Amino acid sequence: MAHEHAVIGASLPRKEDARHLEGRGQFTADITMPGMMEVAFVRSPHAHARIRAIAVPPAARGQVFTAADLPRIRPIRITTQAAGAKSPLWPPLAVDKVRYVGEAIAACLAPTRAEAEDLAAAVAVDFEVLPPVVDAARDMRGGRALVHESWGDNLYIERLIEGGDIAAAARAAALTVTREFRMNRQSGLPLEGRAIVAFYDHRLDEIVVYAATQTPHTMRVALAEFLEIEARRIRVVAPDVGGGFGPKARLYPEEIILAALALARDHPVRWVEDRGEHLLASAHTRDHHCRLTAYADRDGRILGLDAEIIVDAGAYGMWPQGPYQEAAMAARNLPGPYAIPNYRARHYTVATNKAPLGPYRGVGRPGACFAIERIVDEVARALGRDPLEVRMLNMVRPEAMPFTTIAGLRLDSGDYAASARLCAELLDLPAVRARQRRGESDGRLIGVGFASFAEQTAHGAAEFVARGAAIIPGYESCTARMLTDGSLVLMVGIQSHGQGLETTLSQIAAHELGLDPAHISVRHGDTESTAFGFGTFASRSMVMAGGAVARASRLLRDKLCRIGAHLLQCDPAEVRVADGAVSGPRGQVAFAEIARIAHLRMDGLPAGTDPLLEASATYEPGVGTGVFSYATHGAVVAVDPETGFVELVDYAVAEDCGTMVNPMIVEGQIRGGVVQGIGTALYEEIPYDDEGQPQAGTLADYLVPGAAELPAIKIGHLHTPATVTEYGIKGMGEGGAVAPPAAIANAVRDALAALGAEINETPLTPRRVLTAIAKARAAAA
Amino acid sequence: MKAPAFTYVRPQSLDAAVAMLGQGAGEVQLLAGGQSLLALMNLRLAAPDLLIDISRLPELAATGEDAEAVTLGACVTHALVEDGRIPDPSRGLLPRVAAGLAYRAVRTRGTLGGSLALADPAGEWPCVFAALGAEVILRSRAGRRSLPCAGFVTGIYETARAADEIIEAVRVPKLSAAARWGYVKLARKTGAFASALAVAVADPGRGHYRLALGAAGGPPLFLAQTAALIGEDCRDRDAYRQAVAADLAAAADRQFEEFEMQLHTAAALRAIRQVLA
Amino acid sequence: MTRIRLTLNGAAVEDAVPARLMLADFLRERRHLTGTHLGCEHGVCGACTVLVDGEPARACLVLAVACDGCAVRTIEGFGDDAVMAALRASFHRCHALQCGFCTPGMLITAYDLIRRGKAGDEREIREGLAGNLCRCTGYTNIVAAIAEAAAQLGVSHHGA
Repeated sequence: MAHEHAVIGASLPRKEDARHLEGRGQFTADITMPGMMEVAFVRSPHAHARIRAIAVPPAARGQVFTAADLPRIRPIRITTQAAGAKSPLWPPLAVDKVRYVGEAIAACLAPTRAEAEDLAAAVAVDFEVLPPVVDAARDMRGGRALVHESWGDNLYIERLIEGGDIAAAARAAALTVTREFRMNRQSGLPLEGRAIVAFYDHRLDEIVVYAATQTPHTMRVALAEFLEIEARRIRVVAPDVGGGFGPKARLYPEEIILAALALARDHPVRWVEDRGEHLLASAHTRDHHCRLTAYADRDGRILGLDAEIIVDAGAYGMWPQGPYQEAAMAARNLPGPYAIPNYRARHYTVATNKAPLGPYRGVGRPGACFAIERIVDEVARALGRDPLEVRMLNMVRPEAMPFTTIAGLRLDSGDYAASARLCAELLDLPAVRARQRRGESDGRLIGVGFASFAEQTAHGAAEFVARGAAIIPGYESCTARMLTDGSLVLMVGIQSHGQGLETTLSQIAAHELGLDPAHISVRHGDTESTAFGFGTFASRSMVMAGGAVARASRLLRDKLCRIGAHLLQCDPAEVRVADGAVSGPRGQVAFAEIARIAHLRMDGLPAGTDPLLEASATYEPGVGTGVFSYATHGAVVAVDPETGFVELVDYAVAEDCGTMVNPMIVEGQIRGGVVQGIGTALYEEIPYDDEGQPQAGTLADYLVPGAAELPAIKIGHLHTPATVTEYGIKGMGEGGAVAPPAAIANAVRDALAALGAEINETPLTPRRVLTAIAKARAAAA
Repeated sequence: MKAPAFTYVRPQSLDAAVAMLGQGAGEVQLLAGGQSLLALMNLRLAAPDLLIDISRLPELAATGEDAEAVTLGACVTHALVEDGRIPDPSRGLLPRVAAGLAYRAVRTRGTLGGSLALADPAGEWPCVFAALGAEVILRSRAGRRSLPCAGFVTGIYETARAADEIIEAVRVPKLSAAARWGYVKLARKTGAFASALAVAVADPGRGHYRLALGAAGGPPLFLAQTAALIGEDCRDRDAYRQAVAADLAAAADRQFEEFEMQLHTAAALRAIRQVLA
Repeated sequence: MTRIRLTLNGAAVEDAVPARLMLADFLRERRHLTGTHLGCEHGVCGACTVLVDGEPARACLVLAVACDGCAVRTIEGFGDDAVMAALRASFHRCHALQCGFCTPGMLITAYDLIRRGKAGDEREIREGLAGNLCRCTGYTNIVAAIAEAAAQLGVSHHGA
């Protein structure tokens, strides 16, 4: 089919913009309903304690709900298939024990949030404080305390993965480099916190839950299970969602509690998470500790990697997948984009008395990238070679692909070394080196660092099954419905919360149907109006939902062509779609006319063709092991050796995600991810003290990058279309956040090369930088 | 995060406001810009029973100037100072400080008097006014008194202001034409609280030499030996480094970590460099 | 409850409110103007930025009772103001928003920067945006959009 307009690849401005520019978006906290009451939670001030008694003031009786007051709620339970994995039951409202500061104990209802908080402050809980588990490495086998008494230790899961012969690699190595890396616990911190509105709709006999979630359909599955209500009596709607990034892609206790309250009280209830609660009780992220040894030959070829990875996963596993994928993903991605022949990784996912860990842009990959890309630099430095050259030496070559890495990732296509060269070009590496040699008048030290990675995206069922996942998000769905006037509605199971899918998915349908995107609506985020889908996360939506839209659109196109050909009195093989019409050799008929006939004038349909213009399809890529985007990031920093302050002078990304449906949106995703990665690299951390108390409770302590801290982020593209997806698209969205910690730490290493100082812990705070400089100076003395 | 309940009053004059202080039971707070107080109340870290809104009192917005000094009303906002809409006794120091304080939307409401009364250790104004040798003018039912800004802050969030006093104004001596100043704020992000703060003022015309450090875990810290070197027009970097080290070591009650020492030292030396340049 | 009278988006409004009600909650819950968003309630994130008597302010740190007699303008209240229209158009062209949560506060801050002649170059714009957090865009396109709107309006430096 020839198409008039190149809509795939067009940087169409977004349809979503209009409402947000006017302040007319509808976020969950914007929803009010008659009779609605506000909820505030009583939350645990202790990391680990038994609850002896909960005292509710007499005046507040009937307004305060503990677990005992909502007996219909079942504890959250994860069914993982991973052998040997342990999974705790998680009662949404604490029953006899609290296991992290911030855990919900009681829900308080009042006409306003302020009054609900007053109620919460008046509830007195009698605790028996217990020693907390706060050091994952030290306490993984038990010792100080057990987070879950029925476990013999504090391990959700431990695993060993091996490939090749690591002992042989060690023997053959000319160089052995060992380092410890730490990526500290942080928050995903979308600007909109979580929020829930729940009410019982009498007319439809269903409980309706509006929630700031990335995964409405799976939330319905959970509500059905944990409230023991049939799914047909539950509707979940994700309206406008103010950023997700992963932390909103898991089930939370509050969602179950709000739904239960709506049923118990028969009036709408609303809970809007405030920033303090978010930092306490929304999923924490990252928290990786990796000890890594690289064995290399004298040219810098890495012969083997030996790793121990510890992830501090907090007190409970988050539904549906639990905490198991964080360490497992890190272990699988540690070999990076490299052809490393020997590998051993032990990984441990540890329970502690901290907030539960959830996924966040990149999941286990930023931690893995930090470790491998830092150690590649150390291998290079030890051999007196250029880190970029050593990278390229080790990279899997295009002609070797598809290439299955020693950790089992099947790299499909791409020219990784080309991304390294392009990144150096974007930064004008020779100019940076010249500036470095000249020196800065203010005494600061310039450094440049790189990091490369490949990102598995749009992997299908087989991959998730191999991981022992509880649910398998291996497909997406679309129903394409053309209405009576020829306008089109696409109903999809993903949930766009900034990714512009209302625009890009309409671009795909526009391409297949020859219809202007302005005549296409995308409906997402509502279990009522969309077929089952898993939501938006894992850089999957464009490939998966885009693929489903393409398929459904083609089915619709074929029916339009059959009816159009009938009306044009020619053969279906002689017609095509363009400009919202079916065109044949002797004329054309508009979709509007075909739609009128298909709905209102069935007497005009060809024999054997049913009325309506609707098609549904699911999609998974042709290969289940994923399609791999990849990139090299480069950072230029200026380090102040007197204060430890690091300024980001320049940042570039050379990436390849195959065919880009909307390049403008792709670049927006890259830049957004990069800045979050910069946050991880330089600013973001939730430290815990020995009593399990989190130390970052407001945005005055928890720093995120602002515009003034950042350079403009440069982007260059390579194009290696995938061969097993629609249009050659590869998934993207998370990649931007994967490499910055490594690139920036490598840049700081480069800046401080003369001092020999390394910082292998994020964020690279001024304190850590100065400590590293002092340590290096002491070692040199 | 919603504030606990309180009673709100907005007296029409400074006399009326002053009359309300020190009366009756319950905790009373003065509300000027509210940029610190309301944030603390939203976090439920402060729970006053009565809030007296003084933000619109004309007496507190007034500015005055005479041959010796400029008097800035307590409710002059940071934005007015930033924009150069007040007479400037400091030859550019005050607007420079204001421009780096928090964010514009906070500066349009936050006040000089509010910052002085709060005495946040990382706050800019207590340190700057102390370095300039300014005075704070306090008003109570008994009348007025003034205290030097140096010494006004007595601890973390503690000042010499009595419970029945309102800060009325700050009186800032004018720097002479020969004066030079240095201002260094080290912060992880634009607008964030200072990790280190150094204000150096050298006014040979008045024989006034001060170097004050903020974000130093307590009231502004004066580096007396170092200031004396500035007064002698010393140009020896090592001498300054030693003096700063000695001054910091003498502040035994502060118990600085090595990292903090380095930041304070860097800030102090850079402020001195600005003065000497 | 305290009676207040103010001008809100050009219209006279009267209400009786609890003393502790913040302007942000007054706007959102009592006036159903939900374009002003709450991201932190301690003055850092900027999502709640509105204009009070023409100056940007944090609606989360202003009492509604303290706005008696004031003029408040929210994102819903700019009509066809030329500066805001130019900003909206450039934000759209430059892809300066993704989830949209920071956008109203960002636009009002940008409006103020342009009005005060503080949108002269990239550095100045970035400093001016210090009080508005965005987690989605990485800021590059927001800065470009503001520079483009300022250039188009013919104002870059010092209100010229």
